[in-house]
Amino acid sequence: MSEDARLILLLSIADDELVIGHRHSEWTGWTPYLEEDLAFSSIAQDEMAHARLLYGLAADGTGRDEDSLSLGRSPEEYRNAVLCERPNREWGYSLARQYLYDTADAIRVQSLSSSSWRELAELMNVVRLEETYHLDHARAWFDRLAGGPATARAHLAAGLEATVGEALALFEPLPGEASLLADGTMPRSSEDMLAEWVGQLGETLEAASLDYVLERHAPLGEMVPTASGEIEETRPFAVPGLVRADGRWSHEGGFAGAGGRQGRHSEDFVPLWEDLTGLYRAHPGATW
Amino acid sequence: MTPDPVRDALPAGAATAQRVRDALAAVHDPEIPPLSIVDLGIVEDVRVSDDAVHVDLLPTFAGCPALDVIRRDVEAAVGAVAGGRDVRVGFVFAPPWTSDRITRTGRDALREYGLTPPPDAAQRRESSTAFVPVAALGRPAAGAQPSVECPFCGSRDTELESAFGPTLCRATHYCRACRNPFESFKPKAADR
Repeated sequence: MSEDARLILLLSIADDELVIGHRHSEWTGWTPYLEEDLAFSSIAQDEMAHARLLYGLAADGTGRDEDSLSLGRSPEEYRNAVLCERPNREWGYSLARQYLYDTADAIRVQSLSSSSWRELAELMNVVRLEETYHLDHARAWFDRLAGGPATARAHLAAGLEATVGEALALFEPLPGEASLLADGTMPRSSEDMLAEWVGQLGETLEAASLDYVLERHAPLGEMVPTASGEIEETRPFAVPGLVRADGRWSHEGGFAGAGGRQGRHSEDFVPLWEDLTGLYRAHPGATW
Repeated sequence: MTPDPVRDALPAGAATAQRVRDALAAVHDPEIPPLSIVDLGIVEDVRVSDDAVHVDLLPTFAGCPALDVIRRDVEAAVGAVAGGRDVRVGFVFAPPWTSDRITRTGRDALREYGLTPPPDAAQRRESSTAFVPVAALGRPAAGAQPSVECPFCGSRDTELESAFGPTLCRATHYCRACRNPFESFKPKAADR
Protein backbone atom coordinates (compact mmCIF):
# COMPACT_ATOMS: atom_id res chain seq x y z
CA MET A 1 0.00 0.00 0.00
CA SER A 2 1.39 3.34 -1.00
CA GLU A 3 1.23 5.93 1.76
CA ASP A 4 1.62 8.57 -0.95
CA ALA A 5 -1.61 7.49 -2.61
CA ARG A 6 -3.44 7.74 0.70
CA LEU A 7 -2.02 11.21 1.29
CA ILE A 8 -3.14 12.30 -2.19
CA LEU A 9 -6.65 11.02 -1.47
CA LEU A 10 -6.86 12.93 1.82
CA LEU A 11 -5.43 16.11 0.34
CA SER A 12 -7.76 15.99 -2.68
CA ILE A 13 -10.83 15.98 -0.46
CA ALA A 14 -9.44 18.29 2.21
CA ASP A 15 -8.24 20.84 -0.36
CA ASP A 16 -11.68 20.80 -2.08
CA GLU A 17 -13.34 21.49 1.26
CA LEU A 18 -10.84 24.15 2.34
CA VAL A 19 -10.91 26.03 -0.96
CA ILE A 20 -14.66 25.94 -1.59
CA GLY A 21 -15.13 26.77 2.11
CA HIS A 22 -12.98 29.85 1.58
CA ARG A 23 -15.07 30.88 -1.43
CA HIS A 24 -18.33 30.32 0.48
CA SER A 25 -16.98 32.44 3.34
CA GLU A 26 -16.52 35.32 0.90
CA TRP A 27 -20.32 35.56 0.73
CA THR A 28 -20.48 36.54 4.41
CA GLY A 29 -22.11 39.95 4.49
CA TRP A 30 -22.92 39.99 0.77
CA THR A 31 -25.70 37.49 0.12
CA PRO A 32 -29.13 38.74 -1.02
CA TYR A 33 -30.59 38.28 2.47
CA LEU A 34 -29.67 37.56 6.04
CA GLU A 35 -30.65 33.90 6.17
CA GLU A 36 -28.30 33.19 3.31
CA ASP A 37 -25.45 34.95 5.11
CA LEU A 38 -26.05 32.45 7.89
CA ALA A 39 -26.30 29.57 5.44
CA PHE A 40 -23.14 30.27 3.43
CA SER A 41 -21.16 31.22 6.54
CA SER A 42 -22.25 28.02 8.30
CA ILE A 43 -21.56 25.84 5.28
CA ALA A 44 -18.11 27.44 4.97
CA GLN A 45 -17.45 26.73 8.65
CA ASP A 46 -18.49 23.09 8.19
CA GLU A 47 -16.37 22.60 5.07
CA MET A 48 -13.27 24.04 6.74
CA ALA A 49 -13.87 21.82 9.75
CA HIS A 50 -14.10 18.77 7.50
CA ALA A 51 -10.87 19.81 5.83
CA ARG A 52 -9.30 20.08 9.27
CA LEU A 53 -10.34 16.53 10.20
CA LEU A 54 -8.72 15.20 7.04
CA TYR A 55 -5.55 17.28 7.43
CA GLY A 56 -5.38 15.92 10.96
CA LEU A 57 -5.49 12.35 9.67
CA ALA A 58 -2.93 13.21 6.98
CA ALA A 59 -0.68 14.76 9.61
CA ASP A 60 -0.49 11.43 11.44
CA GLY A 61 1.25 9.89 8.45
CA THR A 62 3.51 12.77 7.47
CA GLY A 63 4.85 14.20 10.70
CA ARG A 64 3.47 17.61 9.70
CA ASP A 65 0.73 19.43 11.56
CA GLU A 66 -2.72 20.52 10.35
CA ASP A 67 -1.66 24.12 9.85
CA SER A 68 1.40 23.33 7.79
CA LEU A 69 -0.60 20.92 5.62
CA SER A 70 -3.52 23.29 5.11
CA LEU A 71 -1.60 26.56 4.76
CA GLY A 72 2.08 25.73 4.33
CA ARG A 73 2.17 24.18 0.87
CA SER A 74 3.06 25.81 -2.44
CA PRO A 75 0.25 26.31 -4.98
CA GLU A 76 1.07 23.28 -7.12
CA GLU A 77 0.88 21.05 -4.06
CA TYR A 78 -2.84 21.74 -3.66
CA ARG A 79 -5.04 19.07 -5.19
CA ASN A 80 -8.47 20.68 -5.16
CA ALA A 81 -10.61 20.55 -8.28
CA VAL A 82 -10.56 23.82 -10.23
CA LEU A 83 -14.32 24.24 -9.71
CA CYS A 84 -13.68 25.00 -6.03
CA GLU A 85 -11.22 27.83 -6.66
CA ARG A 86 -13.31 29.90 -9.07
CA PRO A 87 -14.44 33.27 -7.71
CA ASN A 88 -18.06 33.51 -6.60
CA ARG A 89 -19.06 35.59 -9.65
CA GLU A 90 -22.79 35.97 -9.01
CA TRP A 91 -25.49 34.39 -6.86
CA GLY A 92 -26.76 32.00 -9.55
CA TYR A 93 -23.22 30.81 -10.25
CA SER A 94 -22.50 30.19 -6.56
CA LEU A 95 -25.76 28.30 -6.03
CA ALA A 96 -25.19 26.15 -9.12
CA ARG A 97 -21.68 25.40 -7.93
CA GLN A 98 -22.86 24.54 -4.43
CA TYR A 99 -25.48 22.21 -5.92
CA LEU A 100 -23.02 20.40 -8.19
CA TYR A 101 -20.26 20.26 -5.59
CA ASP A 102 -22.39 18.97 -2.74
CA THR A 103 -24.26 16.38 -4.81
CA ALA A 104 -20.89 15.07 -6.08
CA ASP A 105 -19.32 15.25 -2.61
CA ALA A 106 -22.24 13.25 -1.17
CA ILE A 107 -21.41 10.32 -3.47
CA ARG A 108 -17.74 10.48 -2.49
CA VAL A 109 -18.47 10.75 1.24
CA GLN A 110 -21.02 7.94 1.12
CA SER A 111 -18.55 5.66 -0.61
CA LEU A 112 -15.60 6.46 1.64
CA SER A 113 -17.67 5.93 4.77
CA SER A 114 -17.18 2.22 4.04
CA SER A 115 -13.46 2.55 3.34
CA SER A 116 -11.23 -0.27 4.55
CA TRP A 117 -9.14 2.47 6.18
CA ARG A 118 -10.96 2.61 9.49
CA GLU A 119 -9.90 6.11 10.55
CA LEU A 120 -11.03 7.56 7.23
CA ALA A 121 -14.35 5.71 7.33
CA GLU A 122 -15.00 7.08 10.84
CA LEU A 123 -14.37 10.66 9.75
CA MET A 124 -16.56 10.26 6.67
CA ASN A 125 -19.41 8.98 8.85
CA VAL A 126 -19.20 12.17 10.89
CA VAL A 127 -18.95 14.35 7.79
CA ARG A 128 -21.92 12.64 6.16
CA LEU A 129 -24.31 13.64 8.95
CA GLU A 130 -23.30 17.29 8.59
CA GLU A 131 -23.35 17.39 4.80
CA THR A 132 -27.07 16.54 4.90
CA TYR A 133 -27.78 20.20 5.64
CA HIS A 134 -25.66 21.34 2.70
CA LEU A 135 -27.59 19.02 0.40
CA ASP A 136 -30.89 20.34 1.76
CA HIS A 137 -29.74 23.87 1.05
CA ALA A 138 -28.53 23.05 -2.46
CA ARG A 139 -31.69 21.15 -3.41
CA ALA A 140 -34.05 23.74 -1.96
CA TRP A 141 -32.39 26.49 -3.98
CA PHE A 142 -32.31 24.33 -7.09
CA ASP A 143 -36.07 23.70 -6.78
CA ARG A 144 -36.79 27.30 -6.00
CA LEU A 145 -34.87 28.72 -8.97
CA ALA A 146 -35.85 25.95 -11.39
CA GLY A 147 -39.51 26.40 -10.49
CA GLY A 148 -39.33 30.15 -10.35
CA PRO A 149 -39.99 32.85 -12.90
CA ALA A 150 -38.00 33.00 -16.14
CA THR A 151 -35.33 35.25 -14.64
CA ALA A 152 -34.62 32.79 -11.83
CA ARG A 153 -34.40 29.88 -14.27
CA ALA A 154 -32.09 31.87 -16.52
CA HIS A 155 -29.71 32.59 -13.62
CA LEU A 156 -29.69 28.94 -12.58
CA ALA A 157 -29.16 27.72 -16.15
CA ALA A 158 -26.33 30.19 -16.72
CA GLY A 159 -24.72 29.07 -13.47
CA LEU A 160 -25.00 25.40 -14.40
CA GLU A 161 -23.65 25.97 -17.91
CA ALA A 162 -20.61 27.69 -16.44
CA THR A 163 -19.95 25.01 -13.80
CA VAL A 164 -20.91 21.58 -15.18
CA GLY A 165 -17.71 21.05 -17.17
CA GLU A 166 -15.47 21.86 -14.23
CA ALA A 167 -17.69 19.87 -11.87
CA LEU A 168 -16.95 16.73 -13.91
CA ALA A 169 -13.31 17.22 -12.91
CA LEU A 170 -14.23 16.60 -9.27
CA PHE A 171 -13.97 12.97 -10.43
CA GLU A 172 -10.60 13.31 -12.17
CA PRO A 173 -8.81 10.07 -11.30
CA LEU A 174 -6.27 10.37 -8.50
CA PRO A 175 -2.61 9.55 -9.05
CA GLY A 176 -2.16 6.15 -7.41
CA GLU A 177 -5.87 5.36 -7.44
CA ALA A 178 -5.31 1.76 -8.55
CA SER A 179 -3.56 0.92 -5.29
CA LEU A 180 -6.33 2.60 -3.26
CA LEU A 181 -8.94 0.51 -5.05
CA ALA A 182 -6.91 -2.67 -4.65
CA ASP A 183 -6.89 -2.52 -0.86
CA GLY A 184 -10.37 -1.04 -0.41
CA THR A 185 -9.23 2.37 0.81
CA MET A 186 -11.44 3.63 -2.02
CA PRO A 187 -14.43 1.28 -2.33
CA ARG A 188 -15.38 2.81 -5.70
CA SER A 189 -13.33 4.32 -8.49
CA SER A 190 -13.61 7.97 -9.50
CA GLU A 191 -14.98 6.79 -12.84
CA ASP A 192 -17.72 4.73 -11.18
CA MET A 193 -18.74 7.62 -8.92
CA LEU A 194 -18.73 9.98 -11.91
CA ALA A 195 -21.14 7.70 -13.76
CA GLU A 196 -23.55 7.70 -10.80
CA TRP A 197 -23.36 11.46 -10.44
CA VAL A 198 -23.91 12.16 -14.13
CA GLY A 199 -26.89 9.79 -14.18
CA GLN A 200 -28.49 11.47 -11.15
CA LEU A 201 -27.79 14.95 -12.45
CA GLY A 202 -29.28 14.09 -15.84
CA GLU A 203 -32.50 12.86 -14.24
CA THR A 204 -32.83 15.94 -12.05
CA LEU A 205 -32.16 18.33 -14.91
CA GLU A 206 -34.57 16.52 -17.23
CA ALA A 207 -37.31 16.70 -14.60
CA ALA A 208 -36.72 20.46 -14.45
CA SER A 209 -36.42 20.76 -18.27
CA LEU A 210 -32.92 22.10 -17.79
CA ASP A 211 -30.99 19.19 -19.29
CA TYR A 212 -30.04 21.33 -22.27
CA VAL A 213 -27.24 22.74 -20.10
CA LEU A 214 -25.55 19.33 -20.38
CA GLU A 215 -25.40 19.73 -24.14
CA ARG A 216 -23.98 23.20 -24.21
CA HIS A 217 -22.01 23.67 -21.03
CA ALA A 218 -19.01 25.98 -21.11
CA PRO A 219 -15.60 24.59 -22.04
CA LEU A 220 -13.00 24.22 -19.31
CA GLY A 221 -10.80 27.17 -18.60
CA GLU A 222 -7.11 26.82 -19.30
CA MET A 223 -4.72 25.53 -16.70
CA VAL A 224 -1.73 27.76 -16.10
CA PRO A 225 1.90 26.69 -15.78
CA THR A 226 2.93 26.06 -12.20
CA ALA A 227 5.42 28.32 -10.47
CA SER A 228 7.87 25.49 -9.85
CA GLY A 229 7.53 23.88 -13.27
CA GLU A 230 7.34 20.55 -11.46
CA ILE A 231 4.28 19.37 -13.38
CA GLU A 232 5.57 18.14 -16.70
CA GLU A 233 2.25 17.30 -18.33
CA THR A 234 1.74 19.72 -21.20
CA ARG A 235 -1.42 18.39 -22.90
CA PRO A 236 -4.49 20.57 -22.39
CA PHE A 237 -6.70 19.36 -19.55
CA ALA A 238 -9.86 17.68 -20.83
CA VAL A 239 -12.82 16.01 -19.14
CA PRO A 240 -15.23 13.38 -20.54
CA GLY A 241 -18.09 14.49 -22.74
CA LEU A 242 -21.76 14.03 -21.83
CA VAL A 243 -24.19 12.08 -23.99
CA ARG A 244 -27.78 10.96 -23.73
CA ALA A 245 -28.23 7.35 -24.77
CA ASP A 246 -30.72 4.63 -23.83
CA GLY A 247 -32.86 7.16 -21.98
CA ARG A 248 -30.20 8.42 -19.62
CA TRP A 249 -27.24 10.73 -19.41
CA SER A 250 -23.78 9.31 -19.14
CA HIS A 251 -20.20 10.37 -19.68
CA GLU A 252 -18.19 9.46 -22.74
CA GLY A 253 -14.43 9.43 -23.11
CA GLY A 254 -11.83 9.96 -20.43
CA PHE A 255 -9.70 12.62 -18.82
CA ALA A 256 -6.59 14.00 -20.50
CA GLY A 257 -3.78 16.20 -19.28
CA ALA A 258 -3.29 17.32 -15.69
CA GLY A 259 -6.05 18.98 -13.68
CA GLY A 260 -6.49 19.94 -10.05
CA ARG A 261 -5.93 16.41 -8.71
CA GLN A 262 -2.41 16.57 -10.13
CA GLY A 263 -1.76 20.03 -8.73
CA ARG A 264 -2.46 22.04 -11.87
CA HIS A 265 -4.79 24.99 -11.44
CA SER A 266 -6.43 27.91 -13.18
CA GLU A 267 -5.33 31.52 -13.08
CA ASP A 268 -7.78 32.01 -10.20
CA PHE A 269 -5.88 29.81 -7.78
CA VAL A 270 -2.75 31.78 -6.93
CA PRO A 271 -4.61 34.94 -5.85
CA LEU A 272 -6.85 32.77 -3.65
CA TRP A 273 -3.80 30.94 -2.26
CA GLU A 274 -2.10 34.26 -1.46
CA ASP A 275 -5.18 35.43 0.40
CA LEU A 276 -5.76 32.14 2.23
CA THR A 277 -2.17 31.52 3.30
CA GLY A 278 -0.90 35.11 3.71
CA LEU A 279 -1.02 35.21 7.48
CA TYR A 280 0.54 31.78 7.85
CA ARG A 281 3.35 32.62 5.45
CA ALA A 282 4.04 35.93 7.21
CA HIS A 283 4.08 34.27 10.64
CA PRO A 284 4.94 30.57 10.26
CA GLY A 285 4.04 28.60 13.34
CA ALA A 286 1.75 31.28 14.74
CA THR A 287 -1.09 29.95 16.87
CA TRP A 288 -4.44 31.54 17.52
CA MET B 1 3.86 8.30 42.61
CA THR B 2 4.03 8.69 46.40
CA PRO B 3 2.20 6.06 48.51
CA ASP B 4 -1.27 7.08 49.69
CA PRO B 5 -2.93 4.51 51.97
CA VAL B 6 -6.48 5.67 51.30
CA ARG B 7 -6.14 5.70 47.54
CA ASP B 8 -4.12 2.48 47.45
CA ALA B 9 -6.82 0.62 49.41
CA LEU B 10 -9.36 1.17 46.61
CA PRO B 11 -9.68 -0.94 43.49
CA ALA B 12 -7.34 0.60 40.92
CA GLY B 13 -8.71 3.94 39.89
CA ALA B 14 -12.32 3.24 40.89
CA ALA B 15 -12.68 6.19 43.24
CA THR B 16 -10.91 8.46 40.81
CA ALA B 17 -13.16 7.34 37.96
CA GLN B 18 -16.23 8.32 39.97
CA ARG B 19 -14.71 11.67 40.89
CA VAL B 20 -13.85 12.25 37.24
CA ARG B 21 -17.41 11.49 36.18
CA ASP B 22 -18.75 13.90 38.80
CA ALA B 23 -16.31 16.54 37.60
CA LEU B 24 -17.39 16.03 33.98
CA ALA B 25 -21.04 16.48 34.93
CA ALA B 26 -20.11 19.94 36.21
CA VAL B 27 -18.56 21.01 32.86
CA HIS B 28 -21.09 22.89 30.77
CA ASP B 29 -21.33 23.78 27.09
CA PRO B 30 -20.11 27.40 26.89
CA GLU B 31 -22.64 28.17 24.15
CA ILE B 32 -25.53 26.60 26.10
CA PRO B 33 -24.62 27.26 29.75
CA PRO B 34 -27.37 25.22 31.46
CA LEU B 35 -26.38 22.09 29.54
CA SER B 36 -23.79 19.73 31.03
CA ILE B 37 -21.51 17.96 28.58
CA VAL B 38 -22.63 14.63 30.08
CA ASP B 39 -26.25 15.47 29.22
CA LEU B 40 -25.11 16.65 25.79
CA GLY B 41 -23.93 13.08 25.31
CA ILE B 42 -20.37 13.85 24.23
CA VAL B 43 -18.53 11.93 26.97
CA GLU B 44 -17.82 8.62 25.26
CA ASP B 45 -15.31 7.01 27.60
CA VAL B 46 -13.31 7.59 30.78
CA ARG B 47 -10.33 5.36 31.58
CA VAL B 48 -8.22 5.62 34.71
CA SER B 49 -4.84 3.94 34.89
CA ASP B 50 -2.11 4.22 37.50
CA ASP B 51 -0.57 7.26 35.92
CA ALA B 52 -3.20 8.80 33.65
CA VAL B 53 -6.84 9.67 33.19
CA HIS B 54 -8.07 9.44 29.60
CA VAL B 55 -11.30 11.17 28.59
CA ASP B 56 -12.66 10.51 25.10
CA LEU B 57 -15.11 13.14 23.83
CA LEU B 58 -17.24 13.10 20.68
CA PRO B 59 -17.50 16.35 18.70
CA THR B 60 -21.09 17.49 18.17
CA PHE B 61 -20.54 19.44 14.97
CA ALA B 62 -16.95 19.16 13.70
CA GLY B 63 -16.59 22.90 13.21
CA CYS B 64 -17.96 23.95 16.59
CA PRO B 65 -15.52 26.45 18.13
CA ALA B 66 -16.83 25.60 21.61
CA LEU B 67 -15.09 22.21 21.37
CA ASP B 68 -11.69 23.72 22.14
CA VAL B 69 -13.14 25.53 25.15
CA ILE B 70 -14.82 22.32 26.32
CA ARG B 71 -11.54 20.45 26.03
CA ARG B 72 -9.76 23.04 28.18
CA ASP B 73 -12.57 23.05 30.74
CA VAL B 74 -12.48 19.25 30.92
CA GLU B 75 -8.70 19.25 31.40
CA ALA B 76 -9.05 21.71 34.26
CA ALA B 77 -12.00 19.96 35.93
CA VAL B 78 -10.51 16.48 35.64
CA GLY B 79 -7.05 17.71 36.58
CA ALA B 80 -8.43 18.83 39.94
CA VAL B 81 -9.60 15.31 40.84
CA ALA B 82 -7.04 13.17 39.03
CA GLY B 83 -4.86 12.59 42.08
CA GLY B 84 -1.71 13.70 40.33
CA ARG B 85 -2.28 11.56 37.25
CA ASP B 86 -1.76 12.98 33.77
CA VAL B 87 -4.99 14.10 32.14
CA ARG B 88 -5.39 13.29 28.47
CA VAL B 89 -8.51 14.63 26.79
CA GLY B 90 -9.08 13.80 23.16
CA PHE B 91 -11.81 13.83 20.54
CA VAL B 92 -12.76 10.56 18.89
CA PHE B 93 -15.08 10.06 15.92
CA ALA B 94 -16.63 6.66 16.43
CA PRO B 95 -19.44 6.33 17.09
CA PRO B 96 -20.54 9.57 15.41
CA TRP B 97 -22.30 11.86 17.87
CA THR B 98 -25.99 12.22 17.09
CA SER B 99 -28.58 14.44 18.71
CA ASP B 100 -30.26 11.28 20.06
CA ARG B 101 -27.43 11.16 22.64
CA ILE B 102 -28.81 14.23 24.43
CA THR B 103 -30.38 12.99 27.69
CA ARG B 104 -33.86 13.80 28.94
CA THR B 105 -32.29 16.14 31.50
CA GLY B 106 -30.33 17.75 28.69
CA ARG B 107 -33.46 18.22 26.59
CA ASP B 108 -35.21 19.89 29.53
CA ALA B 109 -32.19 22.16 30.01
CA LEU B 110 -32.34 23.18 26.34
CA ARG B 111 -36.04 24.01 26.57
CA GLU B 112 -35.53 25.99 29.79
CA TYR B 113 -32.82 27.95 28.01
CA GLY B 114 -35.22 28.81 25.16
CA LEU B 115 -33.92 26.31 22.62
CA THR B 116 -36.29 23.68 21.27
CA PRO B 117 -34.62 20.28 21.64
CA PRO B 118 -34.13 18.20 18.49
CA PRO B 119 -36.81 15.63 17.69
CA ASP B 120 -35.88 12.19 18.98
CA ALA B 121 -36.06 9.09 16.81
CA ALA B 122 -39.75 8.44 17.58
CA GLN B 123 -40.71 12.04 16.87
CA ARG B 124 -38.82 11.95 13.57
CA ARG B 125 -40.84 8.92 12.50
CA GLU B 126 -44.15 10.60 13.37
CA SER B 127 -43.50 13.85 11.62
CA SER B 128 -43.60 14.13 7.86
CA THR B 129 -42.35 17.71 7.86
CA ALA B 130 -38.99 18.02 6.16
CA PHE B 131 -36.46 20.27 7.83
CA VAL B 132 -36.73 22.71 4.95
CA PRO B 133 -33.74 24.97 5.11
CA VAL B 134 -34.55 28.17 3.28
CA ALA B 135 -36.80 30.89 4.60
CA ALA B 136 -40.21 31.24 3.02
CA LEU B 137 -39.69 28.30 0.71
CA GLY B 138 -43.15 27.12 1.49
CA ARG B 139 -45.50 26.09 4.21
CA PRO B 140 -45.67 22.47 5.32
CA ALA B 141 -47.98 20.41 3.12
CA ALA B 142 -51.61 20.23 4.27
CA GLY B 143 -51.95 17.65 7.00
CA ALA B 144 -48.27 17.56 7.81
CA GLN B 145 -47.53 18.08 11.47
CA PRO B 146 -45.05 20.90 11.99
CA SER B 147 -42.39 19.29 14.09
CA VAL B 148 -40.80 22.22 15.87
CA GLU B 149 -42.51 23.39 19.01
CA CYS B 150 -42.07 26.93 20.34
CA PRO B 151 -40.02 26.72 23.55
CA PHE B 152 -41.80 29.78 24.97
CA CYS B 153 -45.53 29.09 24.46
CA GLY B 154 -45.55 25.44 23.37
CA SER B 155 -47.39 26.12 20.12
CA ARG B 156 -46.60 24.13 17.01
CA ASP B 157 -47.84 26.94 14.79
CA THR B 158 -44.27 27.86 13.90
CA GLU B 159 -42.22 28.25 10.79
CA LEU B 160 -38.60 27.65 9.97
CA GLU B 161 -36.70 30.79 9.05
CA SER B 162 -33.41 29.05 8.32
CA ALA B 163 -31.79 25.70 8.96
CA PHE B 164 -28.75 27.74 9.93
CA GLY B 165 -28.32 30.03 12.89
CA PRO B 166 -25.90 31.73 15.27
CA THR B 167 -24.05 28.45 15.90
CA LEU B 168 -23.62 25.36 13.73
CA CYS B 169 -25.99 23.37 15.94
CA ARG B 170 -28.93 25.79 15.81
CA ALA B 171 -31.71 26.63 13.39
CA THR B 172 -33.88 29.75 13.53
CA HIS B 173 -37.69 29.82 13.67
CA TYR B 174 -40.66 32.10 14.17
CA CYS B 175 -43.69 31.33 16.32
CA ARG B 176 -46.92 32.60 14.79
CA ALA B 177 -48.82 32.00 18.04
CA CYS B 178 -46.72 34.09 20.45
CA ARG B 179 -44.91 36.04 17.73
CA ASN B 180 -41.46 35.32 19.08
CA PRO B 181 -38.45 34.37 17.05
CA PHE B 182 -36.78 31.32 18.57
CA GLU B 183 -34.05 28.80 17.92
CA SER B 184 -33.90 25.03 17.96
CA PHE B 185 -31.05 22.60 18.42
CA LYS B 186 -30.74 20.91 15.02
CA PRO B 187 -31.37 17.21 14.69
CA LYS B 188 -28.25 15.32 13.67
CA ALA B 189 -28.91 11.70 12.84
CA ALA B 190 -28.65 9.32 9.91
CA ASP B 191 -32.40 9.34 9.30
CA ARG B 192 -33.13 13.03 9.55
